[in-house]
Amino acid sequence: MTDTSVPGRRAHQEDELLVIRCQLGERPAFDDLVERWHRPVWTYVRRVAGNDDAASDIAQDVWLRVLRGIGRLRDGAKLRPWLFGIARRALMDRFRLQYAAPIEADVDLTAIAASASSDDSQEEIAAMERELARLPVTEREVLTLFYLRELSLTDVADVLAVPVGTVKSRLFRARRQLRRELDTEGESA
Amino acid sequence: MTSTHISGPPAAELCRLLDAELSVHSRIGHVALLLASAAMTVVVASLWLTEPALPPRTMAAFAVMTLVGLSWVAFSGWVLSRRRPLLGHDSLVAGRLAVTCTSTFAGGALAVGYSSGEQAAYAAAAMGVVLIAAAVTLLLRARRNVARLTRRREALERELEPARSVNPSRRDG
Repeated sequence: MTDTSVPGRRAHQEDELLVIRCQLGERPAFDDLVERWHRPVWTYVRRVAGNDDAASDIAQDVWLRVLRGIGRLRDGAKLRPWLFGIARRALMDRFRLQYAAPIEADVDLTAIAASASSDDSQEEIAAMERELARLPVTEREVLTLFYLRELSLTDVADVLAVPVGTVKSRLFRARRQLRRELDTEGESA
Repeated sequence: MTSTHISGPPAAELCRLLDAELSVHSRIGHVALLLASAAMTVVVASLWLTEPALPPRTMAAFAVMTLVGLSWVAFSGWVLSRRRPLLGHDSLVAGRLAVTCTSTFAGGALAVGYSSGEQAAYAAAAMGVVLIAAAVTLLLRARRNVARLTRRREALERELEPARSVNPSRRDG
């Protein structure tokens, strides 16, 4: 799940090439960019926003911001954290409008997970996906970015604009909460 | 691992968004607006600064017209930097257009000044030179940027080409 693997490095190079083509003003490159990243962005936004209508509006807003800001993206290899950072800001803007208050939860910085690169089974990830919708927004988005979008810890930290340690603590808390939910579900079944 | 059971918004909406946001006409239109408003501002400001003993109401009118011109310059500059940013080759076209127009303007003002002896025309020509300098600076910056991006693109394409020829499938992200 780190960026040092060969496929990970190649994916970053492909991202960078796409960004450069966009920055050169090639119209087909924008179509490729949308084709490549619309579904991941949509899935992330949909999971955090919770419904299709809000996700449609927010995804459009995300792409508007991307089109207007891609010329200022200095490092094309950082497309993923930049893109999901925009998606997150768009989500936060929507939530602020919706609730007229920030939704950030307090984070216990001392609760650092022992290991971020866990050996979770496929079953657990599938169950996580089912239970994800029940979690609070903070936990839901960190799990979505890390597990379902496969961003590295550094990329997730960039997206959320928090230190890597905070990402680990949120992951730790989110996984613990998710396990509790799964245990509760298992006992009641 | 990636879940894909959630659908996205209709592709047509995104296509419309792309068409509207990437419209070349809109960008070039705002470049033309920027150049025209800059030229108008320079002419009005030159008249205002060089006409001797103007009545207060006339001076106020010149000041207002100069402010209006500057507002249009600021507006089109904001649009071109934040709403319809000039990308790569578009910025080259815009830069060449700016150099051509500002040179023509400054040359025309100088010719008028030389033939009529009007101080306002010389003042406009002097400000036109400043505009030329700004346009040349923007053009050079655009050329450097495009050259840098092109070099990096070629390097990336060289690196990715062998892998693509072996496995043409693309990562879904």
